[in-house]
This record gives sequence, C-alpha cells and structure tokens, in this order.
Amino acid sequence: MFFHNFKYSLKTLFRNKMLIFWTFAFPIILGTLFNMAFQDIEKNEKLDLIDIAIIDNDYLKNNPLFQETFQVLGEENGEEQLFRIQYVEEAEARELLSKNEITGYLVLEGINHPKVVVNHNGINETVFQSVVEEIIDIQEILKNVSGKWIQDNIPDLTQDINSGIENFDSWYTVIYQDIMKMLDEENIRIQDTSSDHLSYTMIEYYTLIAMTCLYGGILGMSAINQCLANMSSNGKRVSVSPISKGKLILSSALASYVTQLFGLLLLFLYTILVIHVDYGTNLPLVILLSLVGTLSGLSLGVLIASVIKSNENTKVGIMISFTMLGCVLSGMMGITMKYVVDKNIPIVNKLNPVNMITDGFYSLYYYDTFHRYYFNVISLLAFSFLLIGISAFCLRRQKYDSI
Amino acid sequence: MKNVVEVKKLTKEYKELKAVNDLSFEVKEGEILGLLGPNGSGKSTTINCILSLLNFSEGSIKIFGQEMEPDAYKLKEKIGVVFQDVAVFEELTVIENIDYFCGLYIQDKGLRKRYVEDAIQLVGLEEFKKFYPKQLSGGLLRRLNIACGVAHKPKLIILDEPTVAVDPQSRNNILDGIKTLRDQGTTIIYTTHYMEEVEILCDRVIILDRGQIIASGTIDELKKLAKLEEKVTVEVMELDSKYIKEIGEFKNVEDVTYHEGILLITYKKGKNNLVELMDYLKNAKIQYNKIFSERPTLNDVFLELTGKELRD
Repeated sequence: MFFHNFKYSLKTLFRNKMLIFWTFAFPIILGTLFNMAFQDIEKNEKLDLIDIAIIDNDYLKNNPLFQETFQVLGEENGEEQLFRIQYVEEAEARELLSKNEITGYLVLEGINHPKVVVNHNGINETVFQSVVEEIIDIQEILKNVSGKWIQDNIPDLTQDINSGIENFDSWYTVIYQDIMKMLDEENIRIQDTSSDHLSYTMIEYYTLIAMTCLYGGILGMSAINQCLANMSSNGKRVSVSPISKGKLILSSALASYVTQLFGLLLLFLYTILVIHVDYGTNLPLVILLSLVGTLSGLSLGVLIASVIKSNENTKVGIMISFTMLGCVLSGMMGITMKYVVDKNIPIVNKLNPVNMITDGFYSLYYYDTFHRYYFNVISLLAFSFLLIGISAFCLRRQKYDSI
Repeated sequence: MKNVVEVKKLTKEYKELKAVNDLSFEVKEGEILGLLGPNGSGKSTTINCILSLLNFSEGSIKIFGQEMEPDAYKLKEKIGVVFQDVAVFEELTVIENIDYFCGLYIQDKGLRKRYVEDAIQLVGLEEFKKFYPKQLSGGLLRRLNIACGVAHKPKLIILDEPTVAVDPQSRNNILDGIKTLRDQGTTIIYTTHYMEEVEILCDRVIILDRGQIIASGTIDELKKLAKLEEKVTVEVMELDSKYIKEIGEFKNVEDVTYHEGILLITYKKGKNNLVELMDYLKNAKIQYNKIFSERPTLNDVFLELTGKELRD
C-alpha cells in the first residue's frame, strides 16, 4: 500500500501543471533573470586599470605588506591587476598628478604611516583609497596578532610596548617579518571573509537553491492535504480507507520529496550547463545540502498542512510568505540584510531554514574546513525531524469537530 | 438478521446547535436503509460520525459489532463510502482513479484489476476509462465517484446523496447499480432528500429533521402516518365555488383546494373515490383535461409530521 500510494502521489504531482510551474519552472525563470541581471553587474564591476604612482622610499622598502600587495595588484597582465604603477620620486609624482596622468600617489611617511594624495573625488580615487585602507586594516590585524604573540612569549617586552618605548617600530618590524615568514613557510593564508568579499552572484544562486528547496513544502502540503479529511473530498475518502495515516503521509511526503528533487536536478543542470554557474569543487556537498534543505522544506509544508486549521489557499499563502521572508532575511534581496540580522538578532537566522541552507553553501565556498557546513546540515536535519515529529503527533488518531 | 451498524444515543453539537440529537438506530445485514431528510437535517453529520471522521459529544457507534475508531483498519476494510462531494483526482484518468482507491483496500494486483473492471461495468463507464474527470459530464463524474467508493466490494456501503445534480439517465444507471449491489447481499445506508429514490430502493426508512428521528419504518408503515390514502388531481379551466363546496361534502374527503386550474382532493380512505368523482363531474357537465389519482408520498408523511415540505 505504501508503494501504491507513493506511485499515484507521484503521478498526481507530476501531472499538476500549477505545482510543476512553481516547483520546476519558476526557479529556472528566476535563475535566468538573475543571470541576465548579474552578468551586467559583473561586467560593470571589471574596472579599467587605474594609473597611480608610489613613492619609492625606505619606508616602502621596509614595509613588505604594502610592497607585495601593490606588486600583485600592479603586475602586468596579472589575474589581479588593478593598477598601472609607476615607482617615482615624490616631486615627479606631484607633476604626474598635476598633469592628470595618474589618479593619485601613495607615499609612506613612516613605516606605518601611508598617505594617499589625489586631486579629485571619483570611483578610481575611491578604489585606490580603499585598497590602501584595506592594507592598513590587514596590517592592524597582523599587529594585534604579533602583539598577542609578544605578550604570550616575551612578557618583558610587553611592558616596554605599554610604556611606549621609542624603538617599538623597529621591534615590531622584525617580529612582523618573522611572523610573515613563518606564515609563508607554513603555507598559511589570511583570508578576509567579511561580507564585502562574498560573490554577490553566488549568494543569489545559493538563495535561489534554498528557495527552491523550501518550495518543496508546497508539494508536501498539497500531497498531505489530499490525505486530510478536513482539507479535501479525497482526504475524506482516503481517511476512511484501511491504510494507516502514518503510512499514507509518509508515502505522499516521499513522493513530494522525489518530485522536488527532480525540480532541483533540473535547476542544477540548467544553472551549470546553460547559464554556467560555477559551484566550485564541492558540487557533491552542494547537492547533499540541497537534499537536506529539501527535506526541511518538505517538513515545513507537512507541519503547516497538519497543524494550521485553515483552507488550502491560506496554507499555501503562509508557506510562500514564510519562504520569501526567510529568503529576504538570508540575503536574497540584498546581502546587507543577512548581516544586519546576523549582527542584531542572530537567533532569527539560526532558526531560519533558508539561512541554514545558504550559510551552508557560503561555508563551502569560503572555508577550507567543513565544520560550519556540517553544523548547518545537522541543524537542518534536526529542524526537519522536529517538524515531522510535531506533525505526526498532531495527526495521530485525528478526528475533527467539523468537516 | 444481524445488526451491521448500531448507533445509540448519538449526539453531535456545533457550539449551541445540536446537529444530531440523541439518535439511535440499527442497520440489518443485507438491507438498504434510507436516511431521508431535508438539507441540514443531520444526515451527513450522522454518516461522518459513523465513519469516525467527526468527534461527537455523546453516544456510541458499532459496526459489525466493533467500536468504530479512526484506526480500526480491519473494520474499514469492510466499508465503502460514496460522499456527497465528488472525491476523485483531477490528474488521474477514470481507470487510474478507481485503481488508486481500490488499491487502498486490495493489494493483490490481479484481483484488483478484476474488481476495477467490475466497478467500471457496474456504473457503465466502459467507454470513458481513459478520460480525465474534467472531460466527464456531471452525471458521469457521479458514476465515477460511486465506482471509486465501491470497487473493493465492501460488505457495508454508505452512499451520501450520490445522485445530487445528476441527469435522469445517470440517475437510473446509479439506482440500477445500487440495486445490483443489494442483490449481491451488500448492506447499504442511503442518504437522500429525494423521496422517490427512497421509495424505489429502500427496505426501511428513517426520516430525520433537525438532527432527530421523526419517523421510521418500512415505506408502507410510514405512509400510514400520513392519515390519507388517496390524492386526486383534476385539471379544470373554470370551476364555480358551489361545486368545490359539494365535492368537499363527499364521503371520505379530507380536503379540497382549487388553485390556478388545478382541483386537488385528498381522501382519508381510498376505495372507489375516483369513480364517484368522475360521475359527479359528468353529471354537473364540468369539462376537464386531466384527472389522476395518487397514493400518498413520503413528502406527505413529512408534511403531516413537520408541517413543511421535504425540500423546504
């Protein structure tokens, strides 16, 4: 009977044009629109090379971070080339700037005192200024790390630092260089994982997949409604048959799950083969997270169908609203929202299944370890089983006050 | 004969409304019991309580001697239900719908295939096997609804107003199908507000009004409650009031009315009334188009007991 109900549930789901549109076609249409929109954004993001000058003095020579960073960013035909750099004396730089041949110039007026000189306000000037500020930020991080290292390892020196000894900078330079060397030897990289550095396009695709996963809830809800006597005539007929409600709902839910997975497969094939989205080397894990995400969407649909005493349209409305709200809070309509929520009310995104899915995807993309990824997978599984448990409890031996 | 269904003191309340009030009845093995009553009289509520779909405030329900519960699966195997609303899947064809619902009861594929064919034959849908429900007329859809409910050959069938909004051809087909099921020994509970169907089909009838039994018995037993035996209707274009008065003075006449060319005479007893009336009309040289006599209907019984028509 389990397979019998599964087979026919699958048939009814695949033949329901409206459901198929929302589950199969809608995410593909949305993906296409994203592709059209973000292709332009990414093209526009590729800036023209910016002409700058850097004053070639001793301070620069003693600051490997500035030196190396601008070496990479100025490398001819390099993958990360952003600037065309001239290393000149300050007078020459001033002249180039006055002739508008460069956007600005950088001069280190102390080992840790960079100064950017520009003549105008504009995108190029802002980019130049931002790069310098970012190097300063990274330098600050390294300085803090070094300070901690010194505090832990050479307490006497800490006292000197706190009392503001004059030769601290030279001490710092030596230690900093040692640490950089150590990091280099150990093949350790410092990677900035702040929001500014997430790929906007990938975030949208991840949210799209998360949304598709949760849309599985609509299929689940539709299948469950066909089993409930207070929701449909078919539900009445099925409820008086000798098949247990557990078996009935489980087989219907499984059919919805399979249908939804088919929808996801189409979405993956479409995004990979047609619009060339690069999911990186972790595709199997992306798929695993999608499977678990779909389960969470399905369980949400089952819960809404079982617990909320209302008509089908209201239930679908609740399901779609919940999904869309979850998408918004996890960054679909603007990545800032995700970080605002994470910072101010973190519990919301901790309980938001869309965020669990997207966060799992981000962690695959940005971390070399899988702790955060598996944390999200386990959270989604726990979320799903909790909702299914509540639904099962509510449906057990259910009779109605009115039909 | 054994009781297949026993309902004792069943009461179902919706807030302050008693939809079913202290209802008790039995259904004997092999009989067709009609539940007759106007809309809102509590027929469907009673059925839903029997099927353990609805909670009820008081009373007990036993089917085949066993308490009916939502998880009484062995019991449910013996029951078939045809609800008032058509319950089929729009996405499945006629044969798939019947196979699906039959499959919830019968696991053996070979047996099920035979049962499905039998059900299609029973309701006369042989030509529409591959049709989807939206391609069927209202009458054919009702027939499909019945086939889905009875395909597994249950011992007890509950039919809740299966002929609502059905064309005469389909209605006859449905009624014939139900007679076939009865002849096969199936026990049937049949709810309707069409008294003609009850008179054709049912061995025993319970008349419900406002959730209570107002009368029960065989058709003949019930008709005796109407306190009249014959109704004569005459189509007369014009009739002087003196004739109406004279007819009213005939022996056995209970009541005479004349409205829009129709003279209606009801008799307390029913022997030779028509002959006497025709003689009178001939002698008084009253010309008429039609004259016919009727036995009292269940509607007359209902009218007598409640003061209102069944379809009010």
